[in-house]
Amino acid sequence: MRLLSTILGVCAALLATTTTAFSSSASSHNSQETQKGQGQVVSLITLRIPASNAIPNPYVLSPSTHATLSTFGQPRKTAWLSTANTFVLRDLPPGSYLVEFCCVTHAFAPLRLDVDSTGGVKVWETYRGHDWGNKGEAVKLSTEGVYDVRVLGTKGYFMERAKFNFFSILRNPMVLLGVVSMGIFLGMPYLVDNMDPEMRAEWEERQKTNPMNGIMGAATGQAGAPNPVGNFDMAAFLAGSSKKEDSGPATITEQGEQSGGGGGGGSRKNKKGKGQVTSTY
Amino acid sequence: MLLPPHLSTFLLLALPSAVRAVFQDEVGHIDYHYELLGVPQRETTFFHRPRRDEKASLLYTLSDVGVLGAVHPSSGAVLWRHLLNGTLTDGGGFLRAGEGENWVAGALGKSVHAWDAVSGRNKFWVDFSGEVRDLEIMEMTENGGRKDVLALFDEEDGSSTVLRRLSGDDGSVVWEFKETTKDIPLQVSTNVEKVFVISLHGNAAAYNLKVTVLDTLSGKRLDELVIGTKGDVHSKEDVMFVGANSAAPIVAWTDNSLQKLRVNVLGLKTRQEFSLPAGAVSVEIHAPHLVQSLPHFLVHIKTASGNSADVYHVDLKTGGITKAYDLPVQRGTGAFSTSSDNANVYFTRITNEEIVLLSSTSNAAIGCWPLKEGELRSAAIYGVSEVVKKTGSGESFAVRSAVVTDTDDWVLVRKNGEIAWSRPEGMTGAVAAAFAEIPENEDLVKTLEQEAHSNILAAYIHRVNRHINDLKYLPAYLNSIPSRLTSSILGTEVSFKDGKLARDSFGFHKLVILATRRGMFYGLDVGNKGKVLWSNRAFDIAKGDKWNVTGIHIDESAGETTVLGSNKDHVVFKTETGKIVDAKAPEAQVSTRSAALVNTLSGQVLLAVGLDGEISSPPADWTPGQTVVTRGLGGELKGVTFVAADGAKLSPLVTWTFPVPQGQKTVSIATRPAHDSVASIGRVLGDRSVKYKYLNPNALVLAAVDDAALTLTVYLLDTVTGQILYSSKYEGVDAGKPIECAMSENWFMCSFFGQYGVRDDPDQIVKGYQIAVSDMYESDQPNERGPLDDSDSYSPLDPLDVPGAGGASTLPSVVSQTYVLGAPISALQVTQTRQGISARQLLAYLPDMHGIVGLPRMLLEPRRPVGRDVTPAEMEEGLIKYHPVIEIDPKSVLSHERDVLGVEKIITSPAVVESTSLLFAYGVDVFGTRVAPSFLFDILGKGFNKVTLIGTVLALSAGVFALGPMVRRKQIDTRWNAPM
Repeated sequence: MRLLSTILGVCAALLATTTTAFSSSASSHNSQETQKGQGQVVSLITLRIPASNAIPNPYVLSPSTHATLSTFGQPRKTAWLSTANTFVLRDLPPGSYLVEFCCVTHAFAPLRLDVDSTGGVKVWETYRGHDWGNKGEAVKLSTEGVYDVRVLGTKGYFMERAKFNFFSILRNPMVLLGVVSMGIFLGMPYLVDNMDPEMRAEWEERQKTNPMNGIMGAATGQAGAPNPVGNFDMAAFLAGSSKKEDSGPATITEQGEQSGGGGGGGSRKNKKGKGQVTSTY
Repeated sequence: MLLPPHLSTFLLLALPSAVRAVFQDEVGHIDYHYELLGVPQRETTFFHRPRRDEKASLLYTLSDVGVLGAVHPSSGAVLWRHLLNGTLTDGGGFLRAGEGENWVAGALGKSVHAWDAVSGRNKFWVDFSGEVRDLEIMEMTENGGRKDVLALFDEEDGSSTVLRRLSGDDGSVVWEFKETTKDIPLQVSTNVEKVFVISLHGNAAAYNLKVTVLDTLSGKRLDELVIGTKGDVHSKEDVMFVGANSAAPIVAWTDNSLQKLRVNVLGLKTRQEFSLPAGAVSVEIHAPHLVQSLPHFLVHIKTASGNSADVYHVDLKTGGITKAYDLPVQRGTGAFSTSSDNANVYFTRITNEEIVLLSSTSNAAIGCWPLKEGELRSAAIYGVSEVVKKTGSGESFAVRSAVVTDTDDWVLVRKNGEIAWSRPEGMTGAVAAAFAEIPENEDLVKTLEQEAHSNILAAYIHRVNRHINDLKYLPAYLNSIPSRLTSSILGTEVSFKDGKLARDSFGFHKLVILATRRGMFYGLDVGNKGKVLWSNRAFDIAKGDKWNVTGIHIDESAGETTVLGSNKDHVVFKTETGKIVDAKAPEAQVSTRSAALVNTLSGQVLLAVGLDGEISSPPADWTPGQTVVTRGLGGELKGVTFVAADGAKLSPLVTWTFPVPQGQKTVSIATRPAHDSVASIGRVLGDRSVKYKYLNPNALVLAAVDDAALTLTVYLLDTVTGQILYSSKYEGVDAGKPIECAMSENWFMCSFFGQYGVRDDPDQIVKGYQIAVSDMYESDQPNERGPLDDSDSYSPLDPLDVPGAGGASTLPSVVSQTYVLGAPISALQVTQTRQGISARQLLAYLPDMHGIVGLPRMLLEPRRPVGRDVTPAEMEEGLIKYHPVIEIDPKSVLSHERDVLGVEKIITSPAVVESTSLLFAYGVDVFGTRVAPSFLFDILGKGFNKVTLIGTVLALSAGVFALGPMVRRKQIDTRWNAPM
């Protein structure tokens, strides 16, 4: 309600002054002008923060929000955010101004505001670090007699702290690798056990020629591996026992333990302790 | 070729990913902030109901530093505030509120403004050419509900008086009354049908009061009265009071000897005289501001020992003034305040012992509430009160008073004599601050010294006894272990129960000594959220004067702090308690320009430098060993050394002078900070070659502007010889906007507002706030150390032509780059860490965004490759492609969402841990935080979740304990079930 009345007020003021403005210069399209020295001083320019997706309700913006107007050789001007969500700039002498908006919560696009010697006002978006002449899109005077300011987004001051999350640990590739290999390690012997006997014999045959069975050999307890790698007992090596000490039943059980389910599968197949010994040597 | 705009914005957003931001959970843990307003002024502070139909009122003030704000009376929290002129002001200004209006009107300097009383949003802001002398609100106007503002101006350098009636809606001028006269405009006052402009007429020997009566509707002059003052009034300060807006406004003044009080009811020609009690030191008048209030006023008379008050009534019909009653003399100064509730007028008297509420009609106290013992630490000077008459059960009143005490605190005293809140508003307007280590326990130092001096056996016995004696602290220590353990795990604060200050192993516990322009000094505990440990008044500074502090020196070994002022004044106090050891009050004459902290044979000493840069011969053991650089009256720099003139006596001698070239004036001088450790003397480049840093401890940066040519020249001077090591000129620099420089390690920078054509293409104009960064290296080439090579010592005084020694060949090789900044910066400072291993950050205040930003040095690197992508070698070095803009990323704002107002200066200090630098900013607000420019690499931050760690360890242990038996059972089973 208040916004409406203020806008109406502004409109009334503009209407009252447009006649004088147009009589003095054709190019000026808003505001009241008074002659002061050389060039015309524009007495009133209103910039407005419209309601938008980023700011659905501009009335909640902090009262410390303000616009600054700087140009070469003139003191800076500050305009505070008004009750109607506008920045009212008064008595601007001709010049090319950089208008910046300072707000705690939101960032706004900086503007270039030019007042020419006849009192005409033009507003564009501008980009820092670029040629001053390289203007952005022109900001049009709205029907209410204000220039709308474009909001760029909200400001994020804080860094997010990484939270402890059990699933984020599981998602770690190293952990995933470990889980998968463990699954193979534990699941393989059961798969082999449940195989059709013929297929299994075939598979074991193929295993003998497979260079990979050096590793699998220890797990499945394959006897008589043809290649030297097959002779290497991973479990014994990891257990820290040397080959020479590896003799007698103690080693057998040790191996059975070390190779886990795989060892179990192997011993069941051979039904002889010696089978395991051969698997070691 | 410029980048398309959208791409550049994207780049900008991507750039600061390396910037360290503040974590949400660190807020209030590592940082602290005093949201201050400044000391409220007597005339511009009041309670006001912002909504007509609601009982709740707010406390409004325009302070002596130029902050206009609203405070919640029950909690003391700031609702909104504005630093009106952008910088600190020296008091003055006006603030008024219309009864029942939802806005307040203020005026300061040349502008008149109105603000929404609840939201703090601007209603209107109008600037005029003259200075505002007074402001009033017209309570009754012709156009219905609207209340207008009357503003009195002194225009055209005092040659005309202008009164404007401004519309309360948009500040437009309704009518204007102008009088070309040499009279001094004093005040404006209005009753229901007339407006009175009171001015001083005549000459300074004896002013008369001129009252111009104006019509409220048209502003036309109706009448003019001159009231003789019999030579009592010599300046506008002599007129004590002009009652505003009451049914019968008055003007009052006293004679020179404070024996008679003369009062005139505005609109009448007669004045009435009343005698004052003997021995009056000062007289104040308190009267209601409401039109409907009874025309009663109170005269508060202070004598050397106590205070008393008289209450007078004005007869509305005849204009006669009669004394109604008087109040007894009480000790101390006391404070009175007026409140009105429709027609009723109440006076509240606050003394150190009690609050007394009186009605203006009778001298019988309506209410008297004793203050709780020791609640009000210091005496109330003035205040405002709100009196609410409770409806219903008989005559019952509630009163609350916001008073300013003589220690510059703003305190709200409630009816029951309790202090609701106390705001340390005196900390605004700080002029100097310094970090101080917490003094070590002196007793221990003494006993250790004693042990060292006695014989071995006695010392041994003494030590054993001391240790046995220390055992008595053991139970308390053991008791504290569980609580310390839990607080350590849960990350809560460890409280110091015994209240004793102690250093911590991280070095976060330090003190900050803060001296304000009002003659107060404060001790803040940085490690304990900036808690004010003590405050004390050094001197009584007269209103309008300032305590001009030139230097602070903290003597760690003696545990004493010395503050040196500009008027041959000094104060020495204990760093830990603030107890004054020695003080000398300021003289009338300013005699000291600055103070230099110099190293002498007897440690560090503050040396006063005279107005023309001269140093008087200090005592022999205070003679500095190095050159002292001072500034002369003409702005020139001088190098002063101390030489033996006659025998042993050392006297100062100017060895060099650097006059700033004709047409230029010095705007900023920067030197390397006193603590500026450099971890590495070179920078390793991507190809493993080294560029050696030019590290000259005697270098100084001076920035001078030429107003006519619009240029900024930056000189790098050697302070031993006064030689110019390097200079560079920037064109198109606005001399009217702040220019500031900072220097550290082997680099310096200056910020300014510039507008100029790019050298490659003059048609392209760059405009905006900029920062020019320069790096100094020993040579242009990597792996080269210049003629000095790695020689241990050299003298810049050596002749230039001696090869390999001094002279032109030792000039630095400078690499510079300029960036456009996203916002103006001020109060430049560089982080300091203990060893200088951590990267550095440029700290600066953002006057527009009200925050403190930390710009990483990496971002400001002058060697960033321009116009091409970075090579892998450069990437390895940490260089990023040059982009002309450095936007202020919110994540690099160290003060995050806090609204830090009016910072004038930032100081830094290294902590014990290398990663962290302590920051303290002062001005209007006081803000402090810890900065870790290279992240916290040496301590566990809050992000280290001890609960999770312990939880994980416990879970693992539980797993082991649960799985152990299972495995053992399986082992046994395997052995027994071994297939044989």
